[in-house]
Amino acid sequence: MATATTRWCVHHPQRAAFALCMTCTRTICQECATQWDGIYHCAPCLAKQRTGVVARSPVGGWLALVIVTAILLFMTARLMLWSGALIAGLF
Amino acid sequence: MIRAPLSATSVLDETSDAVALAAAPWAAVLVLTSLPWRFLQVLFIDQLLELGNNAAHYGRALGSTANAATIAFIVSLIGRAIYARAINLAAASGRRPGKEALRVPMAALATYLFTASLVAALFYATWFTIIGIPLTIIVSGLAIGTMPLNDRAGIVAPLKRIGRFAREAKTLTALTFVFLVALVVAMVNLVAAFAIGLWLVHGFGGFDVSRWEALLDFGTRRFDLLLIAGGIIAVEPFWIAANVILVRKAGAEESGEELRLWFRELVGR
Repeated sequence: MATATTRWCVHHPQRAAFALCMTCTRTICQECATQWDGIYHCAPCLAKQRTGVVARSPVGGWLALVIVTAILLFMTARLMLWSGALIAGLF
Repeated sequence: MIRAPLSATSVLDETSDAVALAAAPWAAVLVLTSLPWRFLQVLFIDQLLELGNNAAHYGRALGSTANAATIAFIVSLIGRAIYARAINLAAASGRRPGKEALRVPMAALATYLFTASLVAALFYATWFTIIGIPLTIIVSGLAIGTMPLNDRAGIVAPLKRIGRFAREAKTLTALTFVFLVALVVAMVNLVAAFAIGLWLVHGFGGFDVSRWEALLDFGTRRFDLLLIAGGIIAVEPFWIAANVILVRKAGAEESGEELRLWFRELVGR
């Protein structure tokens, strides 16, 4: 539960909190809260995400994600077969 | 809007509201994309049980079913992602989500395909240990619940996020138990629906249903497997919604009841 000290906006200490930033989990006022895809973010976190997107090339992350997912999906089909045959052998 | 502190009952309460808003037509999208996956699962298990000890000798036939099931699994994951986004939008706005529910960010979708594939692999590697089944069901729920939070493609961040929300173990276990009971209730309802349907066709239509009675009899292997699949399909929209709501509530736990009061104070000023 929130304590008395967390009831105020971290960027505007004189203002009452309105929401919780889902990135930094700090309380923020109505002015600082921006809803993006149904999720509240504070202005600094949104700015950080924006610069991060511009500065960092997402190619590495995408490549790793696609390769690992493809391997996992292949493994899923194999594991489904092997574990199924193992269980079927018991009946 | 987060309305009450995090608990299994508050999650279920807000889940029913979100499902009521998002069900039409997004639950249909979820069901339609899940159907091929569930039917192929049933077919695969049926083939395994039919073959029994000889299953190891029919690797090619079983393998083709497993491959088809894996492709259908990917389709079902896309359906889940669309539905989870619809639920998230409904919970955030309190309004019926429109076509924007279809615009699932690529990073969120790709990350969910990764986490869901990992959980599926873990499921098939551990299901014979029994304890692996509820554990992977819980992690699978967290994977779909955290999907809307994944705004960047990566491998470590989504797993960390799942770990962060896994700390709500008590609520997650309670929800899993509730949905297990719901699954049994859904299956009982399906059995009753088929029995009533046959009775009506025989009683009012005058048709001979003896062949259908044998096929749709509780205890017939294929019917039992289809019942389980049907029960899962019936419960799945609520289970996904509950996980999305749980992640929203857990992420904003501190803004629960107190923020509502603060909001009232702000409005009252």
